[in-house]
Amino acid sequence: MNSTSSQSYALVVKKACPTCELIEPVIAQLFNQLQLEVYVQDDPAFPACIENKIDDRSLEFSYHNDIEIVPTLIRTQPDSTEPTGAERVVGWNREEWEKFTGIESLGSNIDPFKPGCGSLTLEPGMPEILAARFKADTLKSRRVDLAGAEDIMEACYERGWSDGLPVVPPTPVRVMRMLAGTDRSPTEIIGKVPPDYVECSVEKVAINAVMAGCKPEYLPTVLAVVEAALQDAFCMHGLLCTTYFSSPVVIVNGPVTRHIDMNSGINALGQGNRANATIGRALQLIVRNVGGGKPGGIDRATLGNPGKYTFCFSEDESDPQWPSLAMDRGYQRGDSVVSLFAGDGVQPVLDQLSRTPESLARSFAASLRSVAHVKKFGMADAILVVCPEHRRVLKEGGWTKEKLKQALFDELMTPGTELMPGVDGIAEGMPEKFKDKLLNKFRDDGLHIVTAGGTAGMFSAIISGWVASGDKGSQMVSQVVK
Amino acid sequence: MDLESRGLPSGFVASTEFIQAAESQAATLGLKPASVFVQHPIQDRTNDEMKELAQTAIEDIVAMIVSNPQE
Amino acid sequence: MQNQTMLDPTSELSPVERQLNPRLESLAGSTVGLLDISKPRGKEFLDEVASQLQELGAKVKRYSKPTFARVAPLELNQLISNECDAVIEGLAD
Repeated sequence: MNSTSSQSYALVVKKACPTCELIEPVIAQLFNQLQLEVYVQDDPAFPACIENKIDDRSLEFSYHNDIEIVPTLIRTQPDSTEPTGAERVVGWNREEWEKFTGIESLGSNIDPFKPGCGSLTLEPGMPEILAARFKADTLKSRRVDLAGAEDIMEACYERGWSDGLPVVPPTPVRVMRMLAGTDRSPTEIIGKVPPDYVECSVEKVAINAVMAGCKPEYLPTVLAVVEAALQDAFCMHGLLCTTYFSSPVVIVNGPVTRHIDMNSGINALGQGNRANATIGRALQLIVRNVGGGKPGGIDRATLGNPGKYTFCFSEDESDPQWPSLAMDRGYQRGDSVVSLFAGDGVQPVLDQLSRTPESLARSFAASLRSVAHVKKFGMADAILVVCPEHRRVLKEGGWTKEKLKQALFDELMTPGTELMPGVDGIAEGMPEKFKDKLLNKFRDDGLHIVTAGGTAGMFSAIISGWVASGDKGSQMVSQVVK
Repeated sequence: MDLESRGLPSGFVASTEFIQAAESQAATLGLKPASVFVQHPIQDRTNDEMKELAQTAIEDIVAMIVSNPQE
Repeated sequence: MQNQTMLDPTSELSPVERQLNPRLESLAGSTVGLLDISKPRGKEFLDEVASQLQELGAKVKRYSKPTFARVAPLELNQLISNECDAVIEGLAD
């Protein structure tokens, strides 16, 4: 092969491309006159006109050289196979190629011009597969290689990664695909997850998000949820160690809820919506797998609650006059925010007869009294989930959310004498020192009000909170979704 | 291995003929069970010989299922 | 067999290889199951193992597989795992 200069070239083609087939004579010409390496993406026998071509069916060369179109002719560095930056021509254009190579009369018997075809590196799904194949070193987590006979789903159970339900096996391709859901670097450290206080990277979050069943577009929300859980005020470590029922309840506000199609309507607190189900679950899996917090280990909850599989929903923000939870907490309507609450299960509040807000508020208050224990005040926080029909009753009576909050506060003020141990024949109660005080069921900022649910049914709900609430325990925390 | 999956510390005793098979099964399962190998042959041994084999192996057998066994 | 790989979702504080269950702390007071896989001479071997284990303070329960060739039936495994704290299987030859 005589070359007119010390320049060397690389040509990438695929057989299943009419343009590449068309330019076979050109390839022969170039091969004879230049230092040329020919890479074939599909059939190593193509093109037949030359003997030495390089099998690039693994797409390694094509991937590392960002080939988007075939044929692509690249001018490489002299005496090296490293291509220089922008020095390439794509598709077939006689004039361009002659100029690029310095060789005249290229392909004089064929059409002078024909656009190229898509490179195999850009087929659907290929970018993530190739990233997993060639960028494996960007994923820092330890590889877990399975033995030949292991079933991959069972393997996740056997290794203790599951919460009892099957998890999606976190293969490198799935994790690469998940990481594409965020701009944040996989090596960025989110924080230290209790109880083991190990550093948790974006990559680890992504792996557990895959296992939870999240889509890549949920990852920014999951990251915000983890960051919220790691805020000091949330007291995640204490929450894990408790024998009480509570675990993180996630409430999402803002535009992100529409982008990822969360459910704030029918069965909002129940199953069936992928984003609701998997975002809450991802946090639980991270606490389990990264933090090391497992039942029987540090988690010694007496009974626990089903929300420990997942408890995550979005708020109904359809009423512009009803401030969202995020707005109560100082954010704007247009902010995407997650809020975390150390909560338990769902306590129903049925009220099908109240036609006035006053009556409805008393129903709510009467039910709220029983949070944790009817005679324990200032101990547990709670969330009141007002359903759309109850919201209607309030609205028709001219009440704002703020007015409801005040009415509940007033209704729940109770003299300490009624809460003393022994009163009503119940040994439980408040300490003696509160005997002569007026107490409120909830500490300041201890009662949160949100709205969600289907439009039929006069059933609201209470999510009661951990009995260590406030600055000696857990408080609701919020985090913006980046 | 099923019993190991059910949470029990477990182990098996086999003759030396089984060493290879055990290795390759461990590779396939991705888990190496606790094991003790006793000298082949087995099938034509007398009762007294079997008793003796067990007495020789008992320390290793206990070590399969007990951590830090005492003498 | 296909080579399957996953990425480790944990804090990586424990070894990557699958670990066996923790072993018993001691024999005294534990119930050890002896599962005879029904090959010749196995019973005699396990008889002595049983007697030695009892001397060391363990309770021993005896079981046997219906045939050597097949794996132990589900009900047998469930029974053993309910009744015992540990199990020794033998004698394969």
